[in-house]
Formats: sequence, structure tokens, C-alpha cells
Amino acid sequence: MSSVLERLDRLPRRNLTVLAIKGLSTLVPGGWHNITSADDLISDVLGSSDPELIRQVRARADALSRARHEGYGRALSLYDAVNRSQKAAGGLRLLANIGGALPLVKRVADLTPTSETLQAADLSLKVAAEMLAFTQVNGLPGDSFGDFVASLSEYAGEARVRMAALICFDALLPLGDQALQRLNSLLGGVDKRDLHQLPAYAGMAKLLPGRGDGAHLTFLRRGVDQWLGWAGGFSSQLGLTGQKAVQALETTLGPWQGGFQQMATFLDAFTDTYQHTGVQAVARRLVERAAAEI
Amino acid sequence: MARTLRWGVGLLLVVSLSIGAFLLLPFRSWLPGGTVGDVPLSQVVNGTAFNRLFPKPDDGDQLVFTQEKRGFSEARLKHGGQVKALLAISDVTTAPEARRKFETSQSRLQGWPLVEQGPQATALLVADRFQIKVIGQGDGLEAEQRQDLIGRFNLRGLAALKSASAPRASLPSGPDSAGRQSLERRAAMEPVS
Repeated sequence: MSSVLERLDRLPRRNLTVLAIKGLSTLVPGGWHNITSADDLISDVLGSSDPELIRQVRARADALSRARHEGYGRALSLYDAVNRSQKAAGGLRLLANIGGALPLVKRVADLTPTSETLQAADLSLKVAAEMLAFTQVNGLPGDSFGDFVASLSEYAGEARVRMAALICFDALLPLGDQALQRLNSLLGGVDKRDLHQLPAYAGMAKLLPGRGDGAHLTFLRRGVDQWLGWAGGFSSQLGLTGQKAVQALETTLGPWQGGFQQMATFLDAFTDTYQHTGVQAVARRLVERAAAEI
Repeated sequence: MARTLRWGVGLLLVVSLSIGAFLLLPFRSWLPGGTVGDVPLSQVVNGTAFNRLFPKPDDGDQLVFTQEKRGFSEARLKHGGQVKALLAISDVTTAPEARRKFETSQSRLQGWPLVEQGPQATALLVADRFQIKVIGQGDGLEAEQRQDLIGRFNLRGLAALKSASAPRASLPSGPDSAGRQSLERRAAMEPVS
């Protein structure tokens, strides 16, 4: 298995994913810089470009990410599981959109999970994966719950573009502008059968706290509740809407004639936003630790 | 014939049972590579113990804890939304090579060796076991500011952690044991609160 920094070095410098995030980042103050070089990241954190220091940090970061107990690998496999699931679901929906008219493929359309409840369950899985990955990478920082919440929002602030992408691509575009307000009631309608229709759930089930689908559903609902408070404030502060997201994406991807939902399907099927920014977020925290430990 | 068959079946059973046991039972944690440097977790001080030793921030500044693992705790010092510095305490048990840079160090802070790493990082080794590091971020910090920040950590409390964890965590003696002894003598001379 390749280490976190090797994966960072292999991230694409320019493809559909990068263009989509670049487009969206015009909505977020501070913008987004596509970091795909571990050495650049290390010298940014350390404030020094001494090759010997960079080599030491890199060696330490690789030792940390190789240790199974440290959770860096687990965080990345969470992102991978979510990404695979998103692509599979996106591909199916795309097929349904294209083949809806053809009698032979029409049966596929009946099978595809297009309902809003499933979309909501998918979003809640992503939010849960985000929180699990956070604890895998950062532990439970601070001595009190207040410290922990402060640390969580610090992390979210650092990954603003990532959070904006999550809100726009997985909530506002597929579920409409009132998505965040409606999410609670939508999640209320999610049952165990819906959960099992999501490919990512099978991979994540053993990492979620609690035993059984019921406990997992409760965890997902509670996790989303926590996140909604923050996400609601964030998106109203930036004034995020589906319309604005599409306009921002058009600046890099070119004109888009279809509807919001089709845009969401297209992004699901062809981009790795969640994985791409996830690797970058994990790598930064890992390098901050390695730089302090050498 | 029946006898060889019996042996065959018996052997198959034993092999499949041992393979099954290895796959199903939680033997994975016994395999090497689970922890950093293969040092058992019980020998590393938990990061929770470090949190209360961080300096209290000045007025207008804010200390946000960002990471807490076994043998490591890190916080960001922020001023008005801007990150000024990364502050961290780590247990060098899992990173013995981190000790090496202190061997040639001439400067001391409250009796402990101090090292500058590049233009923005300052490190202090307390009780030959715990490394404190301050890394300037953004506009950066002057060396004096970083050393001032390090001095405001609870160094005595940190040195005391070593004796608290000593019975459980005996360090493997390395080639530099002579240097360590002299350091330990210095540690013994320090009054422990």
C-alpha cells in the first residue's frame, strides 16, 4: 500500500476533478491551491526549503502512515470507499438518464437509486466518513468537548473548499436549495433497506460505532445534526445556492445546459472531488505532525 | 488406503483450522508494523497528558488543539483567525533519531538543550524524552519569540511525566547512553515540583 505522501504526489494536476474544484473555489474566500507535491507541502509547513530537513520530515511521515495503528491509511480507505460508491451510483444514474428511452436499458432505470431519501443517506454517509476520518487522523484533540468542537471547526475551516464542494455537489445540486433545512426530515425517512442500497455502507459498516443497522442509523443522524449546524452557517455566510454553484462551475468547465440534478449526476460519475481533497487534507495534518516530531 | 485418507483428512483439518484461526482471530495486532517504529503503545506516553502543559495564550490569541495521538499532541496558536505558530509536544520514544540533533547543541533553556531547525522551527528536548517544538506559520516568528513560547510551556510538569511513566516505560539503551546519563543527572538536579 502506498503511503499518504506518495498518493499526494500522484494526484492529478489538471483534470475534470481539479477543474470542478477550481470552479467552485471562486465562491470561497481564500480560494484553493491544488497541492500535488509533498516536498512543496513540507517546505510550506516548515518554512524552510532545506533538502535535508525535507527528507527527514518525509521519512518520518512515511513511517507514521505505514503504522496501521495510526489511522492514516484507514482514513484514506474511508475516502476511497465513499468515492467508489459515489462513482458507482453516479454511473448507474447516468446510464438511466441516457437509456431511459431504450426499452432494453429501461430496466436499469427502474433499479437506479434516484430517490431523495437515498441521496440524503449518501450525504449522511459522506459526513460520517468525514468525521470518522477526522478522528482517525487527529485523534480526539483537547481535554473537553468544547476543545473537540473547536478543533473540528478549525479542521472544517482549513478545508473550506472541500466542505463547500460537499455542500454544493451532494446537497444543493441534487436536493435543491432548501437541502440543508430538509435533510433532517429526509433522513427520518431513511430505513435500513435504503442504507444497504448504498455501496459505501458495506465498506464503512465496521468502522461506524455501535452494532447493527439501527445503531448506525442513529449515529448517522446524530452526526449529520452536528454537521448541519456548522454547514448551515457556512453556506448562508457564503450565500451558496445551486444556481451559484453551477455558475461557478461554468467558469472552468464550460457552459452547462442541463438541470441541476443532471449536473450532480455528471459530477458524481466523472469526478473524484471527495477523494482528491481528502488526500490533501490528510497529508497536511500528517506533515504538520511529522515536522514537529523530527 | 483408508489410513492415508484418514491422515489426509486430519492434516487438512489441522491446516484449515490454523489458517482460519489466523484469519479470523485478532492476530493482526500481533503482526509487526502496527505501531510507529514497532514500539509497544504502553511504552509511549499518551498525548492527553501533554494537553495541560501547553502555554496559556495571551489576550487576543487563541490556542486550538488540532491533533492528539499516542505520544503526540499539537495545537495552533492563532491571532485574529491567522495561524501564528504550530506548538507540539512529542514523545521521542518512537523517533530516537530526533534526539541526535540535540547532542551537539550548545544553547540551553532552563537547563534543557535547544536547537534551531531551519528559519522557522525551534526544538527543546526535556528530560531526554519529550520534544517541544514551535514552528512559525504565515508571516513567521523571530527566534526569540519562539524561544519565549517554548519557555512558557510547563517544563517541570513535562519532566515529571518521565518519572511517572518510568516504571512501565524503560527506554531501550542505545549507543548514546553516556550522553543520556549526563542528561539524567542534570534532570535529577532539577527540583521536581
